[in-house]
Amino acid sequence: MEKIGLYLGCNIPLKAPDIEQSIRQILPPLGVEPVDLEGAACCPAWGTAPSFDLDTWCAVSSRNITLAEEQGLDIMTGCNSCFGVLSEAKHFMEDGERRRTVNQKLAKINRSFEGTSDIYHIAHVLHKKVGMEKIREGLKFDLGGLKIAVQTGCHSLWPSDVYAVKEENPYQPTILKDLCEATGAEVPHYSRLGACCGMGGMRSTDMEKSLKLFKEKLVSIKEETDADMIVTTCSSCFLQFDMSQPILRERGEIDFEPLPTFYYTQLLALAMGCDPSQVAALSQIDRSAIIARIQDEQRLIKEVA
Amino acid sequence: MAKVGVYVCHCGSNIAGVIDVSAVRDYAETLPDVVIARKDLFMCSDSGQEMVKQDVRDGLVDRVVVAACTPRTHEPIFRAAIEKAGLNKYLFEMANIRDQASWVHGHDHEGATEKAKLVVASAVGKARHLEPLEDKFVDVTDAALVIGGGIGGISAALELANMGHKTFLVEKTPSIGGVMAQLDKTFPTNDCSACILTPMMVDAYNHPNIETLTYSEVDDVSGYIGNFSVKIRRKQAYVDWDKCTGCGDCAAKCPAKTPDEFNAGLSDRRAAFIMFPQAVPKKAVIDMDACINCGGREIGSEPKLNKKTGAPILAPCEKACPADAINRSLPLDPGGRIKEVEVGSIVVATGYQVMDKGWFKEMAPDSPNVITALQLERIISATGPTEGKLLRPSDNQKPKTITFVSCMGSRDANFHTYCSRFCCMYMIKQARLLKEKYPELVINMHFIDVRTAGKDYDEYYTGARRMGINFFKGKVGGLEMLPEDKLRVLAYDMESAESIEYASDLVVLATAVELPEDAQGLAQKLGLQFCGSNFFRELHPKLGPVETSTEGLFLAGCCQGPKDIPDTVSQAKGAAAAAAVPLAQGRVKIEPIISEIIPENCSGCGICVPLCPYDAIAMSEWAGTARAAIEMSACKGCGVCTSACPSGAIVLHGYEEDQIFAQIAALTSGGRNHAG
Amino acid sequence: MLVEQKKIDEAVATIIGFGGTGILNCVQCGACSAVCPGVKAGFPLLCRNLIRSLLNGQLEEIIEDSSSWGCQACNRCTEVCPQGVRPQEVVFAFRRYQANELAFSTSAVTSQMNLYETGHAVFTDPKELRRQVGLPEVPPTSAFNKQAQEEIQALIDNGPMGELGLF
Ligand SMILES: Cc1cc2nc3c(=O)[nH]c(=O)nc-3n(C[C@H](O)[C@H](O)[C@H](O)COP(=O)(O)OP(=O)(O)OC[C@H]3O[C@@H](n4cnc5c(N)ncnc54)[C@H](O)[C@@H]3O)c2cc1C
Ligand code: SF4
Ligand code: SF4
Repeated sequence: MEKIGLYLGCNIPLKAPDIEQSIRQILPPLGVEPVDLEGAACCPAWGTAPSFDLDTWCAVSSRNITLAEEQGLDIMTGCNSCFGVLSEAKHFMEDGERRRTVNQKLAKINRSFEGTSDIYHIAHVLHKKVGMEKIREGLKFDLGGLKIAVQTGCHSLWPSDVYAVKEENPYQPTILKDLCEATGAEVPHYSRLGACCGMGGMRSTDMEKSLKLFKEKLVSIKEETDADMIVTTCSSCFLQFDMSQPILRERGEIDFEPLPTFYYTQLLALAMGCDPSQVAALSQIDRSAIIARIQDEQRLIKEVA
Repeated sequence: MAKVGVYVCHCGSNIAGVIDVSAVRDYAETLPDVVIARKDLFMCSDSGQEMVKQDVRDGLVDRVVVAACTPRTHEPIFRAAIEKAGLNKYLFEMANIRDQASWVHGHDHEGATEKAKLVVASAVGKARHLEPLEDKFVDVTDAALVIGGGIGGISAALELANMGHKTFLVEKTPSIGGVMAQLDKTFPTNDCSACILTPMMVDAYNHPNIETLTYSEVDDVSGYIGNFSVKIRRKQAYVDWDKCTGCGDCAAKCPAKTPDEFNAGLSDRRAAFIMFPQAVPKKAVIDMDACINCGGREIGSEPKLNKKTGAPILAPCEKACPADAINRSLPLDPGGRIKEVEVGSIVVATGYQVMDKGWFKEMAPDSPNVITALQLERIISATGPTEGKLLRPSDNQKPKTITFVSCMGSRDANFHTYCSRFCCMYMIKQARLLKEKYPELVINMHFIDVRTAGKDYDEYYTGARRMGINFFKGKVGGLEMLPEDKLRVLAYDMESAESIEYASDLVVLATAVELPEDAQGLAQKLGLQFCGSNFFRELHPKLGPVETSTEGLFLAGCCQGPKDIPDTVSQAKGAAAAAAVPLAQGRVKIEPIISEIIPENCSGCGICVPLCPYDAIAMSEWAGTARAAIEMSACKGCGVCTSACPSGAIVLHGYEEDQIFAQIAALTSGGRNHAG
Repeated sequence: MLVEQKKIDEAVATIIGFGGTGILNCVQCGACSAVCPGVKAGFPLLCRNLIRSLLNGQLEEIIEDSSSWGCQACNRCTEVCPQGVRPQEVVFAFRRYQANELAFSTSAVTSQMNLYETGHAVFTDPKELRRQVGLPEVPPTSAFNKQAQEEIQALIDNGPMGELGLF
């Protein structure tokens, strides 16, 4: 089994542990063994060290990366922001001068950044290392007939020059689409596929602006796809879709019911037959109906059943 | 003993602004064999030159060193001056204290002055050993070759032919015309492109002095100015052009389809095709990459016989041709045939290509309604895929809103940093033509800034604003694919500092101008160099815009850099005039700064033969033994052989061993080596 | 507005010092602003317009503007910029300038405190939720790991963030 360092970040272990549970449950059957990075901290989030000092950012990120380097492992993140922050920091650390300065800081805590671990997003691991074939083989339920709108999220698309794994065309991302289609579901195109959801610094700085942006994206999804659910590989986007749809609905800004939203590994876990009370338990939007549809007996795949 | 005169130039403030010219002069006076050292504000001025001449005429000096700027531009001037005064012009040496001292060490006046002294000492060291040399002359073949049959090549060929010189016009596609033949109308007067181009194409083709060789490429070039031998590959057309009448019946019957290059891929053509209705010559070609060998009629095969009638089963093209120009039974050589011609000078006018939209990932390149400007040109052209009607590719419907996006791949560090120069103008042209024809059409144009330098050009642009065409300052950031094959334009308005979003039915990208892919190969064959923008490099960006570093080889049109038709034609006529000079003179001068083999010293080892980049050295017999010998007219004086010869048998005149050692000695001894 | 070279030089040097090293490459084409979610949402000083202000020497004049904190760090601007400016780096460099002058909203202080104390910018006690979904109550992160927290504190203390007097 291929080992990989599981970097959890903040949102997933603290606010959405059902996502963590889904990751832990789906990987071993797919031939990947997640190894905990004991003591891993925040990536650090854009609003913290990166907003104050480049070297402190690089030092905190590099410390996280060294946790994997020590074990000879690559890193897999679940959160897009973490993927972006760690990848950018690693990119900065390619500059020899920067590396020297930051390593001097790290020396104080008996660490040294070597640059030996690659940074992956879990979507990359599933897409490139596991592969569609194996994902299909692991399914218990076939999601044929269900319509999914995908949300890749900014931080695994741009800037493409700092990422170890990237989309062929970041403006027309296909990795998440492929992953969802592997479950049998249909993934129609919508025009604002690449648009930002408005989570992040924008939401904490100006909630109204964030909601305005989010609404445009949501309406594009609803009108152009009429999807049954939204699936994302970004834990921040997940929170925006899950928290902000009810707000818009309550204010009467949208005339449709909020679309249930899943983090991708939750969807996959459900399709693999995992227990929803463990892998998809926490959300503002009621997901019980769609979960029931996903795990409907009629969808059982014969060979596995 | 040589009598060396040193003349130090201030070059206004170019040199004197950094270097202490008097100090350099004083120093020069102390160098061995220097009899006179003077300085002047501008040595190249009349009075400056006169000063040198007078010293020569007075018999004061017999070797001249000018410490000034670059020999590239100024050596010929001073050589001519001393020759006029009666001295052999090769008894001259230049010390480039501008490029090598004042310009590069502008912040260190003292250091620059010291370095200038060294450079002068080195030049003096060499000058003391200079020997007189004599120019040599060879006869010239009175014929020219023009490569590329676009408006640039056609203009150059006509010019040369009208001056009375036999001219070969080589074009790689089946017809001459180039990109201009694909255009609808032309700015700034909006006259129809075909109407002004076709008569020129016919004139060139029928000109008694022009031999037009289309569907041909240059395979090999050898020789030198005045005497180039060129192998031209006449590609296999699989149609006998002596018989072909250009009726197009073969194309009408051919079932094999492939994208039509002339329509920029917007429609299909057949494997058997005539390039476009006004093609010159109007001849059919069978494109074997697309041909499906109907009825098993591979080239050179015997036809199968009809089981009933016993008649041979022919391919539709053969059957259709009323002139018997297609016979697939003949064992035609797929390589075509080689035609060898001798010419005295060559004009390269191989033009450009526009970038493909596929490069621009943010611009929804998969959408059929995102097109290049060249494609739009075909759409609005009467001979194009929609016969001139504005219909968008996805559904053949007339768009209501159309968007123009400038600078796609130009002024972009990811692709080309240069400005493609004529896109602003042709976008405005296209917008104006459309607005005239369809006043209700909404036209939004997005520019980083509008660049319309040229006679009557800015008026053309301001006129477009008055016509109700919308202009936005700000580069488009992307396109998003909307339902019904519309596109959401993600743009920005610099003036209001706000983002802009709207749905458009058709988006036109002004993609960058660049050299065609096969330019690299041609450059290798011809010895052309590339400039920083990856076009062919001219000899001098200001003073030698049509010449190249290879004598006898000239440039015209977009292969030297993006330019519109007026500029292309001007440059082509300039190139033709320059190319005609050696032909008109009947002989060309060979500078004596070339290598010579002293047969007595040559051991016949032959090491030098393959080293010469110009194939100027061959083994020949001398006193009954094999010896290397240099063809004087092919030698460029690069010196590779000289430095490689293990026997020291090769002399590079003008850079002889004692001269170079004297230079080195002067440099390494801080200029103080007074010996030798 | 007066054009004062001294102010322009100062603004440029400040931004480059804080990591916006590409600022002088900007040709003001506006492509970044065309795709910036922040500009679209209505933050006036991001991407091209922020760079314009900085290149006008308006560093102090805009110090209180909150636009930079609305930047998503999505880097779509970086992807489309034709001149390699990396506008997001300029936005963040300006943010760092603001932060080091303590010109930022107090609401941003909480996450700095969280990071410093727990190693997590976003911190809530997760034990109950984790138990509910069948995970060990304590995650394998710095959240309850004393040594990890001390390491983070050492890294922060030992840099400009530590000198701001927040912790
Ligand atoms: C959309 C668009 C609209 C335009 N509109 C206008 C306008 O309105 N007014 C205006 O002034 N300009 C316009 N232009 C610019 C115009 O096309 C050029 O100025 C002009 O075509 C340059 O001519 P050229 O002979 O240098 O190159 P080309 O037209 O490219 O001709 C070069 C020729 O050389 C041939 N060739 C290439 N390589 C070889 C080889 N190795 N061997 C042999 N032959 C070779 C090619 O097949 C071609 O026939 C427009 C350009 C575009 C893209
Ligand atoms: S990184 Fe910031 S400035 Fe750049 S496009 Fe995203 S939100 Fe705008
Ligand atoms: S895209 Fe780049 S060059 Fe253009 S305005 Fe933005 S930062 Fe400047």
